Amino acid sequence: MKITPGGVVAAEWTKFSSLRSTWITTGISAFLLVAFGMIASASFSGDGLNSIDLALSGSTLAALSVGVLGALLGAGEYTTGMIRATLAAVPRRLPVLWSKSLVAGAAAFVTMTAGAFAAFAAGSAVLNDKVGSLGLGDDGVLRALFGAGLYLGLVAVLGVALGMLVRSSAGAIAILAGLLLIVPGLAALLPDSISEAITPYLPSNAGSAVMALTQGDGTLAPWAGLAVLAGYVVVALAAAAYRLKTTDA
Amino acid sequence: MRLPSVVSMIEVREVTKRYGAKTVVDRLSFTAKPGQVTGFLGPNGAGKSTTMRMIVGLDAPSSGDVLVNGKPYASSKAPLREIGVLLEAKAAHPGRTAVSHLLSLARTHGIPRSRVDEVLDLAGLSAVAHKRVGAFSLGMGQRLGIAAALLGDPAVVMLDEPVNGLDPEGVLWVRKLLTGLAAEGRTVMLSSHLMSEVSLIADHLVIVGRGRLLADTTVADLVTAEGVRVVTPAPDALRTTIAGPGVTVTSTGAEELLVAGASARVIGLAAAARGIPLFELTPQNASLEEAFMDLTRDAVEYEASR
Repeated sequence: MKITPGGVVAAEWTKFSSLRSTWITTGISAFLLVAFGMIASASFSGDGLNSIDLALSGSTLAALSVGVLGALLGAGEYTTGMIRATLAAVPRRLPVLWSKSLVAGAAAFVTMTAGAFAAFAAGSAVLNDKVGSLGLGDDGVLRALFGAGLYLGLVAVLGVALGMLVRSSAGAIAILAGLLLIVPGLAALLPDSISEAITPYLPSNAGSAVMALTQGDGTLAPWAGLAVLAGYVVVALAAAAYRLKTTDA
Repeated sequence: MRLPSVVSMIEVREVTKRYGAKTVVDRLSFTAKPGQVTGFLGPNGAGKSTTMRMIVGLDAPSSGDVLVNGKPYASSKAPLREIGVLLEAKAAHPGRTAVSHLLSLARTHGIPRSRVDEVLDLAGLSAVAHKRVGAFSLGMGQRLGIAAALLGDPAVVMLDEPVNGLDPEGVLWVRKLLTGLAAEGRTVMLSSHLMSEVSLIADHLVIVGRGRLLADTTVADLVTAEGVRVVTPAPDALRTTIAGPGVTVTSTGAEELLVAGASARVIGLAAAARGIPLFELTPQNASLEEAFMDLTRDAVEYEASR
């Protein structure tokens, strides 16, 4: 009987899967992804968007939802007092953060990748006639669908890191919503030259790049974009790790 | 149950904890030893909970060392086997069932599911194992906390105010459990702000006030004899008879004396030798509660005005 990395991951999975809120939030995220994908696919009849763009049009809201899932997992430890039991069992502390991130990230990746495929299948079935349909074999389609899962998995980890960092559900969710929704809006208000320079590097835009079939002037290359998002996640995790290790629980 | 193989002990050495300008624990030192129940006593705000949190590494001491079984707690490969702890505040997610809560702690150490069922049974929670913790009463929450503390079959068991919210039957259960654990050779430590609660089971008392050690003692030593009450029709004759170095006699009534420094046996024999009748000969002990109050009087943080 002793602490093992696998044991801590198993413990975090037990925590993750034994809460009703986990399943509800995950379900809502998948539902948003599929529902918005279908609605957009059925109703859009203009130019400039392909069937992947339409199928994944729910990804922004799904990102907010999986981010909330992560934030609740992280901050919930503190708001409920569970952190005391958790850290008394794992006094080295950091394995808890890594394991929680791994579990949330992996769960979000698996469910949201499945959601992206479902959204693409359902979207293609109801696709407006004026938009050309694509198949899984077409260039970039698989990358976009798996990329959606990776993007949303990373956002879930970002949520965990923010939750463990600020130790409050409301605070973590506010920061998350700010990063994903409000900052891009604020950036658009800046003078064009500045706005164009920074917009591609904002978390949501950078992460979304991996889901785009074609790259415009204002977007990063798919994997470069995902790497930028991963950078934000690493910074948030490092800050959370620092606070976890150095302050009283 | 296995007997602890390693040396089981809590050692607190010169520990200080400051929050800003406020010193909550002030150069506190004590040792809780195996095979006995250590009562950790003090008024509210004396720093008991903070000390217990430092023992399991939830709070870091501003200075000083805390050792659990001879080493810092965080360096243990199997912390739940070293010490099981119940802290004062609730430490469970209300949305989880009792079983899931314990299982999530057990998994960190590879503790089997069967042990989870065992401690649930031990704590009398088998019937509510699949109920959410949020629906638990205060007493059930305490039982769940104690079940969690026992999960790793630990060498040291440390409980903060364990009988809070328990019904009389639960209080009795905790007493039996703790004395049983100590009898198995484990180190048992429990905190309380009530002397009456602790004196029944503790062998060793660590009394604190305002973060400082006030006494490191035993129940027997704390109860100091105040003297012997004597009722006699001839107080003056008795006074002369027993007078001697170290003996003080005070008159407390027409026929009543309070004698300090001589035992009831000595007084009785002396009176018989001189033919002085005695109506009453009663050793007066300060109650534990009084002794405790005397000791902590100056250290009470929040006190009603008198």
